[in-house]
Amino acid sequence: MSSKIIIIATIVLLLASFSVLFVIETRNHNYDYNKVWSVVYFENPRDNSLDFAIENHEGTNASYGYKIYINDNKVIDEKVDINAGAKQKISPVIPSEKLSGNKILINVNYKGTDYKIYKSL
Amino acid sequence: MIFSLLKLILTIPFVLVLPGVLFQLAIFGWKNGKISFFEKAVLAVPFSLILVDLIILLLNKLNILLKGPVLVGAILIFCFACFAVFQFRFGKKKSKKEEESENDGIFDFSTWQAVFILLALVLAVFIRTAYLSDTIIPSATDLGHHMYWAQMIINTGHLPGYGVPDFIIGEHMVFAAVNLISGVGLMTAMPALLLLLFNIAGIFTIAILLGRVFGSNKIVAISFFVAGSLYAINPPQGRYVSGGVVGNIIGDMLIPVALYFLYRALAEKDRIFAGLFFFFFVGLLYTHHLSAFVLIFSIAAILLLYLLLNIKNAVRIIGDWLKIFLKPFPLAILFGGAVFLLFIFTPSYFNAAAVSQATGEPIKATRVGLSLSQIENSVGSAQMVLGALGFLLALLALKTKELRYSVVLGWFLILFAMAWKPGWLYVNIPSDRIGNYFFLPLVLLSSYALVRYFELFASATSRFFSTVFLFTLLFFVITNGLSDSAEVFKAKDQFQSAMETFHSAAYLAATVDTNKDIILKDHVNIYGDSWYKLFFMKDYKYPLSRAVLMRYVDPTKSRETCTRDMISNPESDAGKACFADTGVNYVAVNAQIEGNSFEKYPDFSKVYGSDYISIFKKN
Repeated sequence: MSSKIIIIATIVLLLASFSVLFVIETRNHNYDYNKVWSVVYFENPRDNSLDFAIENHEGTNASYGYKIYINDNKVIDEKVDINAGAKQKISPVIPSEKLSGNKILINVNYKGTDYKIYKSL
Repeated sequence: MIFSLLKLILTIPFVLVLPGVLFQLAIFGWKNGKISFFEKAVLAVPFSLILVDLIILLLNKLNILLKGPVLVGAILIFCFACFAVFQFRFGKKKSKKEEESENDGIFDFSTWQAVFILLALVLAVFIRTAYLSDTIIPSATDLGHHMYWAQMIINTGHLPGYGVPDFIIGEHMVFAAVNLISGVGLMTAMPALLLLLFNIAGIFTIAILLGRVFGSNKIVAISFFVAGSLYAINPPQGRYVSGGVVGNIIGDMLIPVALYFLYRALAEKDRIFAGLFFFFFVGLLYTHHLSAFVLIFSIAAILLLYLLLNIKNAVRIIGDWLKIFLKPFPLAILFGGAVFLLFIFTPSYFNAAAVSQATGEPIKATRVGLSLSQIENSVGSAQMVLGALGFLLALLALKTKELRYSVVLGWFLILFAMAWKPGWLYVNIPSDRIGNYFFLPLVLLSSYALVRYFELFASATSRFFSTVFLFTLLFFVITNGLSDSAEVFKAKDQFQSAMETFHSAAYLAATVDTNKDIILKDHVNIYGDSWYKLFFMKDYKYPLSRAVLMRYVDPTKSRETCTRDMISNPESDAGKACFADTGVNYVAVNAQIEGNSFEKYPDFSKVYGSDYISIFKKN
């Protein structure tokens, strides 16, 4: 009888352990749950498009400032509000004659942290 | 989430319990004096694992696409076939058989023993669960590599041809099977939970081996504490579960089972157990080459020691052994295993080159053996002290005609020699990997030592001295043996790093053309990077990876260094030549380390930037 109790108790223990671990993994397998970070990227890294996206995973609604430089000259200085967990796509409008042959830098700032991406066109 | 959990919880027993239960029913019947309920329950998981592997291998050979419904159907057909065999063999004798009392004997525990075992199990599961709760997001390097192959099975419906001896099919089929049936993905807790199940099942398989070898339920009870609670986190326990060291974890579960059946076959002269020994040996060959290698050496040492101790009767003993194994049932299993290995699916390491790699005089520093202090660190001081004490006590109690002493002493000696002086045995594999198996015979000896010491204590003439020694020993064992578990409460999860890594991989998978673009990522400074390849599923070596730096230094052969140079020195001549040769045009690095350096290089655009990962594109 004791051996049956041990086997049953082990099954119960494993069920409890599996359930706890599965729930912890599922909850945390998420870009936002208990996490604080942001990311900036070009929508298409393979061409000359400057469309980019900012994702807010800071855990709160946030206001991001972004500046666009052609070489070292600032051509755009804007702000964008993004809800927690949301993504904002931005398509900067810059005359194409200003772009060719230059390095285009996008500098996104949130609470003093800079996220830079750039392309040399 | 709840629905996925429910599907997983229903799938695991369907795949990893039901086939084993019905197979044992077909072999042993409902009740059998030879084997207790406890043993059959413990053996259900190892049996099921191998049976499901064999079913999948057969389906693959028949060119049947491996899909969820196919696997469910095949497992059900197998279970019905086992039930039919059970009815045919035992159905008519049912009433008579049921009158036979099931022989729980050794595994019929007293109330206090049961309470002790339950407490040890609660502690074992609790420590592992607490540790895994900080590492449960799939991010371990080895697990990532293994899950690539499991995902390949899922995607293609066929078993992969690896082309390298490093991976073995048995390490991947069970994960693919559970995914195909339950739908629960590989990038979830599922792989770690299966490994946890095998790890806990391993505690039980050691216990049944111990029970049969020593014939004492006290030693079995103690073994749950020694194997389950002491060093519950250290390799090859919790850390190997979270680290995804699949072959070792499964090997640690299967080796005791193979020895259990071998011991019972020889000690009880039983052909059924002899056949089942072959069954588990074949299963191990399909699962993990190193474990199979260790098992072969272990068996050779055990049998040789027994023959040496009984040298006068050696010829008669060998004759007796042959009489057990040269019977229809073991021969049929052996023949079936050979057919599987030769014609159904041959493991990738079954070739002369792989065998010659693992044998011979070791040259590399990592293969020439561990020092005694390294062995002590590997298995734990308390385990080492208890094991040594157990070895001494077993030696003092040695009865040459009893096979049990050869099992514990021979197993200990051979694994110690393989870890300490592998050159003596022409073993040429990483010594630390051998060291991880050393805990198996040490659990036997440690449990034996503790029980024997309690017995000696009870009959000691000097109670004061023996009491002081007993409490000193227990204090040392508990404090040292549980010290690694304290790390559980200091650990900090790296869930954010893992998720940022996955985000960057998803970004690349969505934006690059894998037919034209070549990605290089940095394994050294990116957490969970080995899972990158699951986002592309293009090739095992896609994306390229800068490996741990010491991997580039190999005294035995020259290694490619481009993957290192393209991240370490991208602007050097060697780095530029490597970019030209390999065609790498995307580089993913840690934003805080190489990311800052790469921003200075004019040849690269930075297309992705987060707190943790930067991705650069070569202009």
